[in-house]
Amino acid sequence: MEIETLLATLGEACPDYAFEARTIPVDETVIEIPAACLEDVVNVLRTTFSAYHLSTITGQDRGTELELLYHFWHERGITLRVALPREGARVRTLTETIPGADFYEREVGEMLGVTFEGHPGPEHLLLPEDWESEPPLRKAQQAEEGDP
Amino acid sequence: MTRVTIPVGPQHPLLKEPLSVRLTAEGERVLEAAMRLGYVHRGIERLVQERTYVQNLHLLERVCGICSHVHTTTYCQGVEALLELDVPPRGLALRTLMCELERIHSHLLWLGVLAENIGFSTIFMYSWRDREMALDIMEGLSGGRIAHAVNTIGGVRVDLDRGEMYAARRLLNELEKHVHDLLDVVEHESTLKVRTQGVGGASLEQVRRHCAVGPLARAAGLDRDLRRDAPYAAYDRLSFEVVTETGGDVWAATRVRVLEVFESLSLCRQILDDLPSGEIATRAPRRVPEGEVVSRAEAPRGEVVYYLRSDGSDKPARIKIRTPTLPALSLVREQLRDINIADVPAVISGIDLCIACADR
Amino acid sequence: MRDLLSVLVTVFVFPGFGFLVACALLFEWIDRRTIARLQARVGPPWFQPVADLLKLLSKENVLPRQADRPICRALPVVSLAAVLTAALYVPVGGRVVYAFEGDLIVVLFLLSLPALFYFLAGWVSGGIYSILGGSRSVLQYFSYEVPFLMALSAPAILTGSWSISDIITQQAEAGWILLVQPVGFVLAVVGLIGKLKRVPFDIPKAKSEVVGGPLTEFSGRKLALWHLTVDIQTVAGIFLLVNVFLGGGDLTLLQGSTPLGLARAVTFAAKALAMLLILSVTSALYARLRIDQLASLGWRILAPLGLVQLAATILIGVG
Repeated sequence: MEIETLLATLGEACPDYAFEARTIPVDETVIEIPAACLEDVVNVLRTTFSAYHLSTITGQDRGTELELLYHFWHERGITLRVALPREGARVRTLTETIPGADFYEREVGEMLGVTFEGHPGPEHLLLPEDWESEPPLRKAQQAEEGDP
Repeated sequence: MTRVTIPVGPQHPLLKEPLSVRLTAEGERVLEAAMRLGYVHRGIERLVQERTYVQNLHLLERVCGICSHVHTTTYCQGVEALLELDVPPRGLALRTLMCELERIHSHLLWLGVLAENIGFSTIFMYSWRDREMALDIMEGLSGGRIAHAVNTIGGVRVDLDRGEMYAARRLLNELEKHVHDLLDVVEHESTLKVRTQGVGGASLEQVRRHCAVGPLARAAGLDRDLRRDAPYAAYDRLSFEVVTETGGDVWAATRVRVLEVFESLSLCRQILDDLPSGEIATRAPRRVPEGEVVSRAEAPRGEVVYYLRSDGSDKPARIKIRTPTLPALSLVREQLRDINIADVPAVISGIDLCIACADR
Repeated sequence: MRDLLSVLVTVFVFPGFGFLVACALLFEWIDRRTIARLQARVGPPWFQPVADLLKLLSKENVLPRQADRPICRALPVVSLAAVLTAALYVPVGGRVVYAFEGDLIVVLFLLSLPALFYFLAGWVSGGIYSILGGSRSVLQYFSYEVPFLMALSAPAILTGSWSISDIITQQAEAGWILLVQPVGFVLAVVGLIGKLKRVPFDIPKAKSEVVGGPLTEFSGRKLALWHLTVDIQTVAGIFLLVNVFLGGGDLTLLQGSTPLGLARAVTFAAKALAMLLILSVTSALYARLRIDQLASLGWRILAPLGLVQLAATILIGVG
């Protein structure tokens, strides 16, 4: 799959946004997309380019904002970067088209405090049911705790 | 008939690690399964942020006991990419050798566990006895049977001398003879076939939708192996076959894994016959420049993905680990629907669980 | 007085309870050792079954709250009593505690009682694994018991007597029944494997499926008695098959002779050990079957074969 073709097709699917790609090791292409376009972009990847394999969803706290990385794989690695605000982080679920995203979204949800709209069962995956404190991967938590 | 809930786990003779599966059954038929993870969750993704890159080698090796080397391999590859470090060929070859030995021992371990869970304890004893040979080679190389501590950032820490190479070749030849016997049993033993054929079939479509990887996916016909599709370490100069089957049932998965052991044995021999001379590691600086990297490798159970972000200090800012058991667990919830209770052990064992990997 | 003493010795020492228990523990050891050697393991030392029994007898016994205590306490005792009584009527190298016309039927009946008690144990001790294992044991019972009974009735019909001792004496003159009814012998062995719940028919107590089956909640003294019951059932079953199909304590295959007591004992022991070897080797060779596969095997293959054997015996054998 050629990156230029991909960017062009994405531009057709979501015309209000200018898609750009950058490369990070190891031979991974990162494309920044707005949260609203996530579903369309994933559809383009799956239907036009047969890139249906979602390796995982990484969530991290960048300080000023939260960041979700959707790692796809088809002949090469394609990562979609979605930036979310720290308060009220919401994004549409992918489980309707990719049932395998279920566990990944649950984990990001509990570790980072992101809500996945439409997720069929957003219980905790790894944390206990009675987890009261902040989501563990949020920066505020790290600043408070000091020694491990 | 009334519905009953049969708990499989967190403690159950079937499971080697704690996992909670609640089966809703009517008579001898399972209707559906609910799964709960997190019993071995150690918060490793959080812990790595407070340790230096070198200290994390020790921690990340202990994500899993069976595939410990491949975790450090993926991690080191990622950090080396950020450092733009070139690992010398001898180091890459030794790293690959350990990867393949680990694959052999993992598949033989799994075969024993599957056999024990369907009541065939004779094959459990045989395959674990044969596995000891692979462990002996790994111990000769690294000093450890399970936690090898072979990898370091920039290469490997231990080297092979002539005596160890000779001993390793001898053990590999002997192991191959035994694995031929095991393949014979898998292909011809009637009670094993009757318990595993047609059981837990996963279609290619299901595998795709759940993003399953590894021998489980290859048993359903998915032709993907990262050693061939995205070569890392020394795989670009080695030749091997990617084994696939059709049907996706437990018997197909068994066949794939046993045939993969033969491929791994061949790879080990190729590496030993053609081991480049020279250094085994390049010196790595303490601080890693800012950047992100996505590193992938083919663990015995499938694709393992590491996302690493560094902020210029000597501690990683974020490490995200995704192990192959997690999508397999997603797939098995569907495979456990509408099957016989007596098939549950075969199906659950067939996906090659590694809960410590999935929970981190 | 001497008669009373001799009866007491026969019942409690030889070939009664003392001998049976010793034999049971010895057979368990031989079985475990054989399977271990076939699996490339060393296997337990000779005193392991004794040690296991003593250990269990000294352990605490905890039952769940919903279990029916009096019944749970009684079941292992009654089960053991049934098999011990059955074994009293099975000749050992020609010696028997008590023999009478029809004792074969009594033995078969008593040997089939533990299956019922096993199911009951699962039913009353509560818990999902116990009940699941219990229901499987009943399904298994119907799959192996019918062929087993048919296989053991055929020799009786052939010889025209329902007394085990008579069957033995007739074999001394006419030859082993195994040679005349090989199908029946195979069915009897398969039935015995099912009765003793050995691999490939250990479905009710399949560890990876139902944890411990009906006996999941039993521990301590009760579990010790259950284990002893299985061991004595093994001994009684093996001795029964040796008597009915292999001619008991007699030496020659075809022509009968009644050798001295010691020679008879040695021959009997050799035959019994050969049977035990057959059981151990089959346990090491196969994986566990699924309950529906066993039921299919029982009703589609074993039962019809048993009918064929019976029919052949009635039409050809008698007279």
